[in-house]
Amino acid sequence: MNHDTPAAPPSPPEPRTHLTSPATRSTLRIQNRLIAAAREYLTAAGFTELLPPVVGPVTDPGSRGSKQVDIDFYGHRYKLMTSAILYKQASLLAFDKIFCIAPNVRLEPLETADTDRHLAEFHQLDVEMAGADRDRITGLVEELVVHMVRTTRDALPADFELLGRDTDAFTELLRGSFGRRTHAEAVAELRTVGHDQNPDAEIDWAGEALLSAKAGRPFFVTDYPKGSRGFYDRESRTEPGVLRNFDLIAPEGYGELCSGSERTNDYAQIVTRMRETGENPQKYRWYLDLVREGVPASAGFGIGVERLTRYVAGRDAVWQASAFPKLPGVVSP
Amino acid sequence: MSRGPAAPAFPEDEVRRRARSGAAAAFPAAEDYGRVLFGAAPAAGPEDGLDRMRLVPPVFMADRLKKLIELGREPMYDDVELTTGIGGFTAALPVYVSALGSTSAAGGDLGLALSRQAARLGLPMVIGENVVPVHGYGRLEGPETPGTPDAPDVRQGPGGGLPTTLLGRLRAYAGELPDGLGGLAVQQSTEDADAEVWNLVYSDPAARPLLDSGRLAFELKTGQGAKPGLGGMTVLDTAAAARFGDRYGLDAAALGGRHVLRSSSPGTFTAEILRQQIRLMRNNFPRARVWVKLHPGRDVAEAARVAVAAGADAVTVDGAEGGTGWAPVAFAGRVGLPLAACLRRLAADPPPCLLVSGRMWEGARAVKSLALGARAVGLGRAALLAVAEDPEQGLIRFAECLALEMRLLVSALGKYSPDALDQQDVWSPEGD
Repeated sequence: MNHDTPAAPPSPPEPRTHLTSPATRSTLRIQNRLIAAAREYLTAAGFTELLPPVVGPVTDPGSRGSKQVDIDFYGHRYKLMTSAILYKQASLLAFDKIFCIAPNVRLEPLETADTDRHLAEFHQLDVEMAGADRDRITGLVEELVVHMVRTTRDALPADFELLGRDTDAFTELLRGSFGRRTHAEAVAELRTVGHDQNPDAEIDWAGEALLSAKAGRPFFVTDYPKGSRGFYDRESRTEPGVLRNFDLIAPEGYGELCSGSERTNDYAQIVTRMRETGENPQKYRWYLDLVREGVPASAGFGIGVERLTRYVAGRDAVWQASAFPKLPGVVSP
Repeated sequence: MSRGPAAPAFPEDEVRRRARSGAAAAFPAAEDYGRVLFGAAPAAGPEDGLDRMRLVPPVFMADRLKKLIELGREPMYDDVELTTGIGGFTAALPVYVSALGSTSAAGGDLGLALSRQAARLGLPMVIGENVVPVHGYGRLEGPETPGTPDAPDVRQGPGGGLPTTLLGRLRAYAGELPDGLGGLAVQQSTEDADAEVWNLVYSDPAARPLLDSGRLAFELKTGQGAKPGLGGMTVLDTAAAARFGDRYGLDAAALGGRHVLRSSSPGTFTAEILRQQIRLMRNNFPRARVWVKLHPGRDVAEAARVAVAAGADAVTVDGAEGGTGWAPVAFAGRVGLPLAACLRRLAADPPPCLLVSGRMWEGARAVKSLALGARAVGLGRAALLAVAEDPEQGLIRFAECLALEMRLLVSALGKYSPDALDQQDVWSPEGD
């Protein structure tokens, strides 16, 4: 993969060509094996798989300017889920450890159409665990990703061969210890190479690609500043303004695979953080009522299924890891 | 020609005269020259602190000498360069058009005509809050309340033109904008957050030319001059009100039987909430500029400092004299700091790009504001009245007159650009 060439990878072809292409088939087989491996691992570890809601009165306010899809629910404005986050926290009232594979729809800004990493419709492997802190949950991410990649590599050598994906690329990953750096360290690193990264914001696309391209193994970026993430990422008790969250970044320039955090579960903090993120608490009524009565402290994460597939399969663009890809702003089946 | 809205608390006749006559309105009638004896006249209307101040040209003018050397001739008023950077945009004058939100006075043709003329002038424009819930966005859906007094069914614009939805106003503005000038700032209220106005605009193909040319901003609003501490208010007829019930506070008793008062919440701010909202805007909309509008609160200087430190490209202060909208009687003239007091409080540590509004309509008030630390002044009622007077040329003529007055006044101070103005150019009867 080469980030120096400005030429965009090809856009999605029409469905017949895409679905009958050997490369698509191998990619989707890899995706299928990754998901099966995740289910094996998580179920064995005591997690219960729930079926996620698709619509609701409110959803993840998300970030980076993507628009939610409104639907008319018997005269009420409902939303298609942009992520399962609110339901993940609520689900801990039933089980201490849950996961789901959730469809998400986000009308991303048009500028993301050529990042190779954004789909307007995608899936997330969502995991939430009561009582976990960040160390526990990032440890789980490591073990889970190692299991998914190892199982898939061992099961599908012919598909990796067909795609020309050298599985030696996973040698470092399979050792199981991912790198860690704080957001502030990542900002400093980017600034030393002349990239003008805003210290108060998410690592921008270009900065993330730079860090990812330099890495030989996946790594976590932790401690994002408040103001870059949603109200549900918990603020540090000892370092105000710093969130107890993380992203997992793939090596080889593939970029972000996963986001996660310890969760805010204190009612007053959630309402305050809603204001800090410009949200109207009024519309989160069901969620706030639940939180006011108490939900368990937890930590969790969501792995972008198409992004992980793209990385493991070594594809140029994330849409190649979707059977029916929808790129921002592009009208397609 | 319809006269459009009335503005009894405003020098409406003067504004309308400017909209008809353009630059000529900066002077007494030319036919009186040589026949009438003129001289200093007492103020015609009510005065506030800013009106009572005077611009005071010095006798010795070092800057004029510099300009003389640069030009190789004596500089004149038309040598004043008014082009000004405003919150990341470039404006032909140190002037922008203030937010006119869902007020029905800015609905219909008037809002569109205003957008077109502001664009042709190369002036930045703010689109106010609550336009989407009241007038609709304009993509697939129409307004949510067709047929209310606030929102006549305007999916199709009057005369078959662009609709007065947010997207209609955006297109009307972007369609007439000269290269390199102007820019659009879009507000989002607490209730607008439900409609995700900023996300909608940021991801819409129609906004792309503005984004690509760096001429889109989002304005975070903490309040407004006309009713500091309260949110926006609109009057609905009783039948239409029910549709808004789950998102807005409705008061059926306040206005008698036939009307319902709809109040937006003002939104809760602390220093940390303001700081983090600005950071989130910069995080989520990296290609848009961030403007912050403050009401004339007693802590306006501290709020401005927080906004600037968090990365706001412009801070707008709406003096208590401002406002196009509907406000409780108890607030008019009784609540909030006058603009002159805001400027005094901001003077110790002025925001790098301070925009002010509040009863702006003529050159002296504008130039005094610039000298006291503002980068540009906002036209609210004046812009609406000028466009109402003549939907094709009213604001353009009005701005021609304002620009001439500004050039005359700035050059009289021995200066040739607005950024050369400073506090010494203003004399206050309270301080001398």
